[in-house]
Amino acid sequence: MDIGPVIDGFGVVLEPANLLYCLIGVVIGMLVGVLPGLGPAATIAILLPVTFEIEAVGAVIMLAGIFYGAQYGGTITSVLLKLPGEASSVVTVFDGHALARQGRAGTALGIAAVGSFVGGTVSVVAMSVLAPVVAGFALDFGPPEYTALALLGILLVSTVAGGGRLKALIAACLGLLLAVVGRDAFTGGERFTFGSLDLADGLDFVPIAMGLFGLGEILHSLEQRHRAVHAPVAVHDVWPSRADLRQSSGAIGRGSVLGFVLGILPGGGAVMASLAAYALEKRRSPHPERFGQGAVEGVAAPETANNAAATSSFIPLLTLGIPANATMAVIFGALLVQGVAPGPQLVEENPELFWGVVNSMYVGNVLLLIMSIPLVGLFVRVLRVRPAVLAPITVLITLVGAYTVNNSTFDIALVVAFGALGYLMKKLGLEPGPLVLAFVLGTLLEDSLRRSLLLFGGDPTGFVTRPISGVLLAAFVVVALLPLARGRRREPVDQVR
Amino acid sequence: MTSTPRALFALVLALTLAGCGGNLGGGSGDAAAFPDGDPITVYVGQDPGGSTDLIARALAEQVSHDLGVAVVVENKPGANGALAARELAGKKPDGHTLMIFNGSLAYITPLAVAAGQAPDLADYDIVTGISQDDYVLVTTATSGLKTVDDLEDLGRTVTFGTTGVGTGSQLSQELLFAQAGIDATAVPFDGGSPTLTAVLGGQVDVGSIQLGEAVEQIEAGRLTPIVTFAQERVSYLPRTPTAIEAGYDVPVQQSRAVFAPKGTPSSVIGSLEKAFGSAFEAGTYRAFNRDNQLTPNEVDGKTLRTQWTQSLDTYRAVTREHRIDLGGEQ
Amino acid sequence: MSPAPPEPEAFPETETETETETAGPLTNLLLAGTVVVLGAGTVAGALSLGVGSASRPAPGSWPFLIGCALVVLGLAQAVTGRATDDAERFVPTSGLVAAGLVSMLGFAAVIGTIGFELPSLALMAFWLRVLGHETWRSTAVISLGTVLALYLLFVAALAVPIPHLF
Repeated sequence: MDIGPVIDGFGVVLEPANLLYCLIGVVIGMLVGVLPGLGPAATIAILLPVTFEIEAVGAVIMLAGIFYGAQYGGTITSVLLKLPGEASSVVTVFDGHALARQGRAGTALGIAAVGSFVGGTVSVVAMSVLAPVVAGFALDFGPPEYTALALLGILLVSTVAGGGRLKALIAACLGLLLAVVGRDAFTGGERFTFGSLDLADGLDFVPIAMGLFGLGEILHSLEQRHRAVHAPVAVHDVWPSRADLRQSSGAIGRGSVLGFVLGILPGGGAVMASLAAYALEKRRSPHPERFGQGAVEGVAAPETANNAAATSSFIPLLTLGIPANATMAVIFGALLVQGVAPGPQLVEENPELFWGVVNSMYVGNVLLLIMSIPLVGLFVRVLRVRPAVLAPITVLITLVGAYTVNNSTFDIALVVAFGALGYLMKKLGLEPGPLVLAFVLGTLLEDSLRRSLLLFGGDPTGFVTRPISGVLLAAFVVVALLPLARGRRREPVDQVR
Repeated sequence: MTSTPRALFALVLALTLAGCGGNLGGGSGDAAAFPDGDPITVYVGQDPGGSTDLIARALAEQVSHDLGVAVVVENKPGANGALAARELAGKKPDGHTLMIFNGSLAYITPLAVAAGQAPDLADYDIVTGISQDDYVLVTTATSGLKTVDDLEDLGRTVTFGTTGVGTGSQLSQELLFAQAGIDATAVPFDGGSPTLTAVLGGQVDVGSIQLGEAVEQIEAGRLTPIVTFAQERVSYLPRTPTAIEAGYDVPVQQSRAVFAPKGTPSSVIGSLEKAFGSAFEAGTYRAFNRDNQLTPNEVDGKTLRTQWTQSLDTYRAVTREHRIDLGGEQ
Repeated sequence: MSPAPPEPEAFPETETETETETAGPLTNLLLAGTVVVLGAGTVAGALSLGVGSASRPAPGSWPFLIGCALVVLGLAQAVTGRATDDAERFVPTSGLVAAGLVSMLGFAAVIGTIGFELPSLALMAFWLRVLGHETWRSTAVISLGTVLALYLLFVAALAVPIPHLF
């Protein structure tokens, strides 16, 4: 590999103007991630006119910074307010918020920062070296492979839920049902929309997650408030201890690899990555019952994975010219406006742009880590606000944020409806995590399955004869049977209290 | 009431009275003074970053210079733009709310969804046409397929990727294969990118996607264009025949136009038409068209309405004739 | 007490929590019943969409499976759920929840016509004063401060097209 352009790329990044754009992007990204509802894609769209004035390299550096900065911002609300802003932050809620309730929000946020930094950096290094090879791999992933992956994901969903298995399955089925609402992608027929045009495109993840997690939690706490004196949780720390870091190191390492690999796949990488990383740690752990109660690995794994995935999702865009998700699509548009057409020849025709952007990610990750040191202390103070005051502010930000998803008041009504559902579910002991994750994976599963059957002409043996999907299905079987094998071995440990 | 809430009440009342116009009432109705310093909002029924969105933003820039007011693009995605169209219909017809309307919403979506779920052209005024975007049938370079006859010679069912149900991508391929008598299965994806990925990876034999999305891959030699679905040879792909030249009557294009709510005064439409006309002349906009492989279709509102109504009638007729079901009830 | 050596000492929660009363078996039956009914409804809807076959799925195939799963799970819940204690009973303060919901629905209903500023102020004031028992002064300050901050952020800085009056 020719090292020259790579070094030149660093030269590009370290120009003061580009460094500034990187900083601006990362700061905006973090702020946007904190705001529920408003995502990086929408923000980039809003800032598009600004990018017309800037040179192409600087523009993309800034926009990229917004994207992975937003991943970290989403963590903050997940941990502090139990409000996941993105699908990839849902898994962080389980242990992140538990840690916050124990007064260890600083630990959670700090571990997330470290994990995100490592995951992002590992991903960039891998990207620099492997990008073209790996891009071809992404093309080999067709509907049958996605089906197998989605199956694996749904299986993992039931693993990660704490509490009763049966209720977790019910919640997951509800999530699958919600995913069905909308127009059928294969016949154009409406399914369970009751004639509503607003439901024709189906439900969005964001109102569901914000309603179930955020509003549901707040409504529930309304009920509790008069029956207990709620002192704000005293915060014991603002940074993870050395022991915490050591404990999470394995999770961070494995999460980086998993995130990088899964992020390359167009459409669904970051969610699968966070889910898979969490499930992997939980299954590997000799004490899986700690997960969901505030295990640091439970925060480290998904956070590392989702940042790694966010970074590697640039690969299809930069090497093939194919945007892997909505944010990449907007960045694609921004590049087009600048007269740069992302495609297979970008690396050769525009190496300073390619390497400038890739290398800016190193810088961006460092900036995020540095910034988070003082900011974690600041954000953690949010928890000291009286619940009576914090609640309405959160409610209002959530309602306004819901509007920004599609610029539609219908989404506000939706988020309220799901807030009510979230409250009921909490009363009934149903967890929102499995519902939301199944919702995200359900569409992928059904669509991929039907596409595969169309490709096979109705013959399902194709799933096994294709190498990649065959391997994934084998993994599915192994993972499904694993607890049965281990269960007998682990019983004695479980009984120790 | 104690004094604090009373003061609060007074403050709120004062603010309410002081607030004039804002984003609710719209500007004065004086058409002669349009746009009268008030901003113009342009709806886009698609997500940001897509072709329609980029066209809207490119034009908004220029028109804003010309009219001297802010022109803001508002994305309201959903149902291929039907949601945005519904909102547009409810706005005051004073020229301050417009929409970049997709042709496919006007002449293909009605064939694919239930009645009432797609907008009716009669409910809108049209300012001007903008441009056309052509579809091209592509296959991965390693497949070795080059012409429609090659597809026929495959001797098995052809799998073709579409960008979704009720899209130009689906319509163009269904018509082509029906006329060529080729046995083919549609595999719908969710938009242009996944379809392109599937074609590149050889997951499906062919796919029909918009030119702007495919051209980089074609130039890189990774995709082979088979035919385009334009009326005449596309300037950006001079060596690729049209479906018509190949002997199949399949003209399908994506088209865009500027729509306004019905009842907009003709003087306002006139001012808008002039403003957009100047925008079309601008060097940056022309370059934008070239960079995105768009063909100008800058006709006036009446002509555009005729174009699109004809398209709808034509497609309704051919889909019936070849018994093509685009989905939903028709 | 805990035999896990590498884990740092768990910090106790500092909120005082009274026990939540668990709901009785009736609630469990209601939940199970609702799930079964939902499943049955889904199956009915799926049948009308057409169930197709394993190799040629129709729009109703997948919903059919989900509906069946829900019915089965609901029945299982009815049978096994009686012994669990993870559901909670409704209490007098549950009325506050209803009030909170109504306030949010009210917000969603009027925001399109009168902009977000006034409903936001009303919502904040209601939650702070009525639900939260804050003083009038802090209610006013916090409400106005928050709405102003939101206005500056969403309308002025980000130019998000939320309906606004000012």
